[in-house]
Amino acid sequence: MTRDFVITLCDGPSCMQKKSKELKEAVEKELEKHNLANRVRINISGCLGMCKNGPVVVINPLYTLYGQVTPADIPEIIQSHILKNKPLKRLAIEEDHLYNRFFRVFGDVNFFGKQMRITLRNCGIIDPESLDDYLSVRGYEALAKVLSGMAPQEVVSEVKKSGLRGRGGAGFPTGIKWELTAQQNSDEKFVICNADEGDPGAFMDRSTIEGDPHTVIEGMIIGGYAVGAKKGIIYIRAEYPLAVKRLQKGIAAAKAQGFLGENILGSGFSFDIEIRLGAGAFVCGEETALIHSIEGHRGMPRPRPPFPSVQGLFDKPTLINNVETWANIPVIIIDGAEWFSSIGTQKSKGTKVFALAGKINNTGLVEVPMGTTLKEIIYDIGGGIPNNKKFKAIQTGGPSGGCLSEEYLDTPIDYDSLAKAGSIMGSGGMIVIDEDSCMVNIAKFFLEFTQNESCGKCTPCREGTKRMLEILTRLTEGKGQEGDIEKLERLGNMIKKSSLCGLGQSAPNPVLSTIKNFRVEYEEHIRDKKCRAGACSAMAVYEVTDKCVGCGVCKRACPVKAISGAPKAMHEINQDKCVKCGLCFRNCKFDAIIKKG
Amino acid sequence: MSTPMELIKQKRAEAINRIHSKGYLSTKRVYVGMATCEIAAGSKEVMEVFSQAMKNGLTDVYLSQKGCAGRCNLEPTVEVVEDGKIPVKYCKVTPEMAQLIVERHLKKGEVVKEWLIK
Repeated sequence: MTRDFVITLCDGPSCMQKKSKELKEAVEKELEKHNLANRVRINISGCLGMCKNGPVVVINPLYTLYGQVTPADIPEIIQSHILKNKPLKRLAIEEDHLYNRFFRVFGDVNFFGKQMRITLRNCGIIDPESLDDYLSVRGYEALAKVLSGMAPQEVVSEVKKSGLRGRGGAGFPTGIKWELTAQQNSDEKFVICNADEGDPGAFMDRSTIEGDPHTVIEGMIIGGYAVGAKKGIIYIRAEYPLAVKRLQKGIAAAKAQGFLGENILGSGFSFDIEIRLGAGAFVCGEETALIHSIEGHRGMPRPRPPFPSVQGLFDKPTLINNVETWANIPVIIIDGAEWFSSIGTQKSKGTKVFALAGKINNTGLVEVPMGTTLKEIIYDIGGGIPNNKKFKAIQTGGPSGGCLSEEYLDTPIDYDSLAKAGSIMGSGGMIVIDEDSCMVNIAKFFLEFTQNESCGKCTPCREGTKRMLEILTRLTEGKGQEGDIEKLERLGNMIKKSSLCGLGQSAPNPVLSTIKNFRVEYEEHIRDKKCRAGACSAMAVYEVTDKCVGCGVCKRACPVKAISGAPKAMHEINQDKCVKCGLCFRNCKFDAIIKKG
Repeated sequence: MSTPMELIKQKRAEAINRIHSKGYLSTKRVYVGMATCEIAAGSKEVMEVFSQAMKNGLTDVYLSQKGCAGRCNLEPTVEVVEDGKIPVKYCKVTPEMAQLIVERHLKKGEVVKEWLIK
């Protein structure tokens, strides 16, 4: 049975108190009166997160949000909205924005309460493989709006006005990039979507593409129109097979419906998108290396300028943006730059998606307005640290970012505040570290990654990171020397200043920021040969406690025969012989062996 | 000739009709998270249970996949939107649990409260 309208009543704890039960009865009564019961479907939703306007009623189509509705208002609403097809202005809340037209994600209030989903507006809502689903949520409307009478220049200035900054990490103003590309005179231009997401623990781009591929495609078509390009390329790593599949399916469906290809929607504008698979080199996320990779060369960066906007793919002007940046474009076009720039802080507009990982209760993908503090993310959305452990640090920006200690928890999240605190926004990885982790070890982990991924073109990055890693390895093995910290600092700053691309320029960040915020731990590793978290196994001391029943398992497990003791009597570890392999610790069934930092 | 905006509105209306014709207006809608993360946590098997149940004669249910909503530690998630009721989300769903959700929730209308996201 087809019903023409859906009335959604919020039944969250707050609205419920404000008598949504009576509202429901009033709606039912009114529908009965007009004999509309089988044309209208009533939906009860969980908390919509708009408690201050409660009780809230949403009516679709003509998505309208009515706030502070009393049962007495119902006849008027139904008269106007359903019978005359005109939303009732008096009670409507002016919030016709893409981000909250969908209420389904708001059910899980603790997790979603402080979030604001713009980039992820459709993720977890629609079927990503269905173009129909995307169309039903105002999909491709932004494209139609642009093609129905916005000049390319207007599109560029709209993006510029929105204050959107590149979501890939560096935070370059997107509008300026667009303007520069649009200004170039060239017979051919390109648009690239950078989906080469490589930070360990980050999966924002993958989830965006897997949850809502069309929004990226739509953003790119708009970008192509604005700068005068006819060809778009999505550079995505082959390690994301499902995302690739959904993009391919999305592109094919968009072509079939006339959103891609020749003469899009009868406007005379033509645009096409192809997918290029990357082999997973981290450096290919850097734009010039990515361009080299698409051209068929080895993925290595080159000095800028000239910027890709002037001289990019095949030496043609190229507009290159990150997945998340593209996903914001349709929203900016539909809802306007003014609205978009009302979200966030003075210099960072909109929202940012973070992949929350590490020692935190709610690991997952969150999207918050810029200006939200780290504390809110960790404790309100993330639900705090598991097992009552103490918070130690938060690592933002992946291997290019830094670790911030507790004193920075009130830092508002935006490009400039994070940079000032000594980290970066980065692409959005966020790893929470608790007291059980060793900061030297964490720095080593990230440096190991960048060292591995260094392409080798410039010496500071190739040799410098290697030397830094050697020093860090030495520290974690308990062989640190006086002066190592200073050496790390000197090397780090040198690499930062003299490397060719972003990879090298940011590779020392995890080390430098941990030295800055956790210098004591470095000093302990060097002077006391001690790791307070007990994470550096070479420095651990294993001891037998009186829980020992003398079963002899550890004695048999020990490869260097460092354990002695008679059967059924307490055993003992000879610390001079012990090689800290930890086998006794892991094999003991009575928890009688303890590990000390 | 119609403008792109008119065209898109027409296309949207067609799309909504197609969604409706697939049974969207059934009294119960079931969404299974199907992003890489959810599939790795086992959502494919969960989806299979639901689609098998539909094949075996479960009616008045609209089954769809969805992307990742970000609840990584609670995946796979299954969302049931029911006419006139508050939508519920089940977390860490196994195929066995999915079978019980079919039996208890979809067939008998009983929400299995202990498996919901709190």
